[in-house]
Amino acid sequence: MNKQSKLYTIIFTFVISFFFVFILAFANEFTKDRISMNNELFEIKAVLYAFGIEYKDNNDAYEKYDREVKIIEINDQKIFFSEVNGENIYAMIFTGNALWGPATGVLALKEDFTRIHGLDFISHNETPGLGGRIEEEWFKEQFKNLKLDNGNIKVVITPREGDTNKDNSLVDSITGATNTSLSIETIVNQSVEKLSSLVEAIKYAE
Amino acid sequence: MQNNSYMGILKNNLWHNNAIFIQILGICSTLAVTNNLINTSIMTIGVVLVMGFTNLTVSALKSFMPRKVRMIVQTLIISFYVIIVDIILRAYIPDVSRALGPYVGLIITNCIIMGRAEAFAQSNKPLISFWDGITSGTGYMLVLLAIAFFRELLGFGTLFGFKILPESFTSWTIMVMPPSAFFMLAIFIWIAKSIMVKGENK
Repeated sequence: MNKQSKLYTIIFTFVISFFFVFILAFANEFTKDRISMNNELFEIKAVLYAFGIEYKDNNDAYEKYDREVKIIEINDQKIFFSEVNGENIYAMIFTGNALWGPATGVLALKEDFTRIHGLDFISHNETPGLGGRIEEEWFKEQFKNLKLDNGNIKVVITPREGDTNKDNSLVDSITGATNTSLSIETIVNQSVEKLSSLVEAIKYAE
Repeated sequence: MQNNSYMGILKNNLWHNNAIFIQILGICSTLAVTNNLINTSIMTIGVVLVMGFTNLTVSALKSFMPRKVRMIVQTLIISFYVIIVDIILRAYIPDVSRALGPYVGLIITNCIIMGRAEAFAQSNKPLISFWDGITSGTGYMLVLLAIAFFRELLGFGTLFGFKILPESFTSWTIMVMPPSAFFMLAIFIWIAKSIMVKGENK
C-alpha cells in the first residue's frame, strides 16, 4: 500500500490514536481508585492539620480523623468539629479564587471567633516555587492561633520571612507572589465570615 | 561533525550541541521552573524519560508513518508519555505531583522533545534514538540544575529546601522572580561559549 496515500494516512492516524488513547484509558482506570484515595487522604490530613491534631502515618491519620473529628451538616455545608486541648474548634473546607485558579483548603476557628485555630491547603494552581509556597510550613504556621481584627487578617510585607506575632492579625506575604498572598487574604477573610455564621446557625439550631 | 557513536552522541548532547546553550531550545521551562532545586529535578527527570521513550517510539514507528501526519503523530506520542508520567506521579507520588502542579502537563510543549524526535529519531534506529533522547534530556537537566542551584541559594538561602546561608543573609528577591533566569541563563551561555571558543582555538 502506498504510505503517502490519503487512505493509508487516515487509517494510520486512526489506528495509532486509538492505540495510545486505549492505553491511557486503561492506565487511568487502573489508577483511578488510588488517585481518589490520595485526594481523600489529602483532605483528611488537611482537616487534621487545621485542627492541630498530630498523626504518625496514613493509617493513624484515618483513625484519628474517625475518632476525634465530628461532622455536622448545616445548610448543605459540611462543618468539622473537634475538641482540641479542651477548646471547641470548628472547621470547614473553603474554596476561593487565588491568582491562577481556585484554591481549596481547610480553615479552623476557635469557638468565640476571635482567633484562627489553623489553616491548610488541599489544592491550588499557583506557580510552583512562587505562589505555590502557600503550602510551606512557615506560611501556614503564621495562621495558627492568629488573632482576628474584627474578623479579618491582613497580608503585609515584613523584613523577615514569616510574622511570628500572634496578636497583630498580620501575615507575611510571599516574596514574588504578592497577588497570590493578597488573594489568600481575601479568601481567608471571606471564609472566616462564612464559617462563623454557619457555626452561629448550628448553635441556634441546637 | 555529526558522530553517531554512543560516546559521540553523549558528548554532543551534553556539551557541543547542548539543547539549551547551543540550540537555545526549551527556554520557557528554563525560565519558569528553576527557582528551586526540588521542582527542577523532578520536572527534568520527567523530561529525560519522556524524551527517551518518545525517541524510541518515533524511531520504531518511523517506517510506518506517512510524512504528512509525521508531526502530529510525534505530538501524540509526546503527550501520551507526559500523561503517563502525570498519572504515575498522581497515583504513587502525590506530594510531588501537587508541588509540580501544571508543570508536568507543560512538558508536552517542551520543544527539545519534538526537536530530537524530528532531527534524530526520524532517521536513526530505535536504541540509539533512545540514547539520544536520554542524553539530550540530561544535557537539559544539568543546565537547569546549575541555574536552579544559584537561584535557590541566593533567592531563598536554601538548597533542596535545606537552609544553607545564615539567617543574617538578605535573600535576593530578584533571584526568585523570572527575570533572574534570563540573567543566569545569559551568564551561563557566555561562560559555556567562552570555554568552547578557547577549546577550538587550541
